[in-house]
Amino acid sequence: MDIFLSIPFLIFIPFVASILLISPLFTNNEIVVRRFAKGVCVFHFLYSILMLACFDSANPYMSEIHFFGLDWVQSMGVKFIFKLDSISMILAVLTSFVFMIASLASKFNIRRNHKFYYSMFLLLMSAILGIFTSADMFVFFLFWELELIPAYFLIGNKWRETDEEDVKKAQNSAIKFVLFTFLGSMVMLLGILLLHYYNYVSNGILSASFSDIVDSTIPDSIQYLIAVCLLIGFGVKLPIIPLHSWLPDAHTNAPTPVSMVLAGILLKTGAYGIFRFNYETLPNSFSFIAPVLAVFALVNIIFTAFVAYAQTDIKRIVAYSSISNMGLVLLGLCAFNQIGLSASVFHMVAHALVTCGLFMIAGIVYLRCKTRDINTLTGIASVMPRLFGFAVLIVLASIGIPAFAPFISEVLTVIGAMNSDLSDVMKMCAVFALPVLILSSCYMLKFLHNGFFGETAYEKANDITVHEFLVLASVLAGLVIFGLFPDTILGMLK
Amino acid sequence: MLNDIFNILLPQMCLAGFIILQLILSMFISPRYYRYARLVSVIGISLSIILLSAVQTEPQYFALKNSLMSDCYTSLFHFLILVCGFFTALLTRNLVKTIKAKAYTFHAILLTAIFGAMNIVSANDFLTLFVSIELLSFSTYFLIASAKGYYSKEASFKYLLTSAVSSGVFLFGVSYLYGITGSVNLSDIYEIVASQEPSVMYSIASILIVLGLISKLAVFPFANWIVDVYKGCESSILAFLSTVPKLALFGIVCRLLVFPLSAGFELTFVIALLSLLTAFWANTYAVRENNVKVIFACSASANASYALLAASLVSVYNLSTVIFYLMCYVFMNIAVFAFLNIYGDKKPLSVNDFRGIFHNNHGLAGAYAFAVIALAGFPVTSGFIAKIYLFSAIANSGLIFVPFLLALLILTVVALYYYLKILLPLFAEYDKNTETVSLQAVFSQKFVLIITALAVLIMGVYPERFIELCRFIAYNI
Repeated sequence: MDIFLSIPFLIFIPFVASILLISPLFTNNEIVVRRFAKGVCVFHFLYSILMLACFDSANPYMSEIHFFGLDWVQSMGVKFIFKLDSISMILAVLTSFVFMIASLASKFNIRRNHKFYYSMFLLLMSAILGIFTSADMFVFFLFWELELIPAYFLIGNKWRETDEEDVKKAQNSAIKFVLFTFLGSMVMLLGILLLHYYNYVSNGILSASFSDIVDSTIPDSIQYLIAVCLLIGFGVKLPIIPLHSWLPDAHTNAPTPVSMVLAGILLKTGAYGIFRFNYETLPNSFSFIAPVLAVFALVNIIFTAFVAYAQTDIKRIVAYSSISNMGLVLLGLCAFNQIGLSASVFHMVAHALVTCGLFMIAGIVYLRCKTRDINTLTGIASVMPRLFGFAVLIVLASIGIPAFAPFISEVLTVIGAMNSDLSDVMKMCAVFALPVLILSSCYMLKFLHNGFFGETAYEKANDITVHEFLVLASVLAGLVIFGLFPDTILGMLK
Repeated sequence: MLNDIFNILLPQMCLAGFIILQLILSMFISPRYYRYARLVSVIGISLSIILLSAVQTEPQYFALKNSLMSDCYTSLFHFLILVCGFFTALLTRNLVKTIKAKAYTFHAILLTAIFGAMNIVSANDFLTLFVSIELLSFSTYFLIASAKGYYSKEASFKYLLTSAVSSGVFLFGVSYLYGITGSVNLSDIYEIVASQEPSVMYSIASILIVLGLISKLAVFPFANWIVDVYKGCESSILAFLSTVPKLALFGIVCRLLVFPLSAGFELTFVIALLSLLTAFWANTYAVRENNVKVIFACSASANASYALLAASLVSVYNLSTVIFYLMCYVFMNIAVFAFLNIYGDKKPLSVNDFRGIFHNNHGLAGAYAFAVIALAGFPVTSGFIAKIYLFSAIANSGLIFVPFLLALLILTVVALYYYLKILLPLFAEYDKNTETVSLQAVFSQKFVLIITALAVLIMGVYPERFIELCRFIAYNI
């Protein structure tokens, strides 16, 4: 069985498909292009499920690529090496799933330039899978940079007939996204270079693999410098509060499937980076920094909840709620114990599902009603009852009602933070975080109430189509399954 | 003498022979056959590349009374200079068409410039170095001025003025150094300097010498010329100007920093500071520009400053990163200017002239976009590896240089903005009211663009062999 399951195959299926799609040899027929891309995504999801089924956490998948018998950059000790441990495995399957439903959602949102769109879409998928699976710092950084190019085009290009102003706005927010992320990644590169060098100086191993880095021998001050550099890099992606201003614009102006991918997966790469670098590789400095970071996480949760309440654009509400939720993920990581880590990973999955559902709903509403302003939207429920049903369930899930996945992760995060041995600051954060979660119900229910109830202003609008139904139903199924059987994920993380 | 020629000077002599051949042809051949000038140059350069394999590199060889030298370091730079010259010669088609009668003279000057650049790298005393620099500079003035129109003359004159000033500064430094050591030979100076305490005079002399040399790389105090010169240049000359003088000057500056000028520590800080200022100036200047050539001018200046910062922190590892960076950088630049050459530069090129050009010219515009992405330093291009490798050299040089590195890294984000400004219009939707451009490229232009873009890709995917080569050369300097 093992010979069929390889990580390079997992990463490079989308890559090869993307090259194939953009090449002039591939047909221009939009239906063929779309079906091909969907087929690749579905196949990829099935393949990743197969890998998950054969996964053994005691014996994780490893693989290394040699270039004509040499390591990639042997002079710097950089190996093209991949590893799938349980967290990577969960996130890889999640990536595959989110991209699959996003490719389904693309049908009504992408109306032109199909070849280029799906090519960039699959390239982004490949880059993100690379981030989640690489076991070498520089390979990680390679994929981290690679993801920027497709992400730019996905956010900023004109994918449907809209007016010039919207295109301009989308381009500006895409440039903002790229510059912010690039700034973060350059600071992160400084951290990686210093870590690489000082690990070599103090341990004598010229290697950039995570497994070869021993942080205890590196001088303390340099450790903190490295950790802060890395945290700034990941903090842009996560985002941590002062570095967040790219996110609402990018998420609002991107087309629906791209928003789903951005909020569902791209933000998780930041959290994964903090886990992989700071939490796992540099535990000494992280245990020192974690309480400070927990305060930032708390600010994330509280501040953005208030900001989200003040918004009138549905997509902006969801975008700000994402920042709030990522604060929760960060808090779980800062707890620096098993419960906190499990909660954090679980919340990544739960939040990815919720946010995909919410962006999908926002997208459907925008397609039918041509507006996303909750002050002008009213009475959608009576014309689109099926959408209303899904909206109610997903909104309830997002505010943390039991029987849905976010409930489990929110409670576990607070328990993890409470049990943290690091500092009393963590307990304070936990105490404040729990009541503040109620705020999420304020803005979410406001969205539901203003948009769906009341007198209807629309004579006739089509209810959800089969594609949209599939997306929403699979999201909901995921939320319910993980809500009722959390052990499916938590069991893997023990 | 004859021994020297056969041991190390064959490539240069071959070029010299072809220079004379071109001059003779220019007197006798009718202007109708102007096309063959390019062919003669290409043959000459190719022969010279082949003859490079006959050069003695191991052990070092000193020729003509110690005034020229040869080792594997110079051979690599000779090879790179000749390859860049080869590509430039191929790209001169459009330019030569406009000056038909003078085609052979033009190519003779081009070969002379390459000859001068080769001699700069292998110079082993300051007089040879000075003469070679002037040989390169004088030929370059004519090359720049050879294009039609007012701007090229203006550019040429500006380049002449700055070069004259920088030559003066350089000579002033050399005279001080001669006063201290009583020699102009690099090996002798190194021996004398290494045996005694460095004096203030020595520091001043070394700073002046390096300042005079790096002004050709557009480093801060003498940086402004690059904007005007690039604005007025024809694109094939730009392909030359942004690669060959840079290779030659880096070749000699690195050698000077390692040997005769290595005794004082002030020089390191002066160069590091200047390169930081240059990076700041160039990157911020380009942000508000719309002229493509000016943006590439600033990018050239900025890239030179990154490499110079790494070169100033002298160590074997740093030297290998600088060589690798140059190796990657010249191919990206030639690819970029090859595309501009295909597009044709009859008027100042604005970034918006390229709107939507990708839709009709997938291959050519794709290769161009790839080269620009490489300049910005994104992965699967050689630019990514080169940047990481270069910055790792600065990171390894000690904590005191971490602020410098941080500043450079932040400046590369600014650089990304103007590279995006070039890149994005390529993929934009074209307006209905402007006509769609379909580019016409001849074989030689396509050949240059495709080969250099391929080189960028190969060095990005499979860098190990090239890095190994650079390390070998840096260890054997």
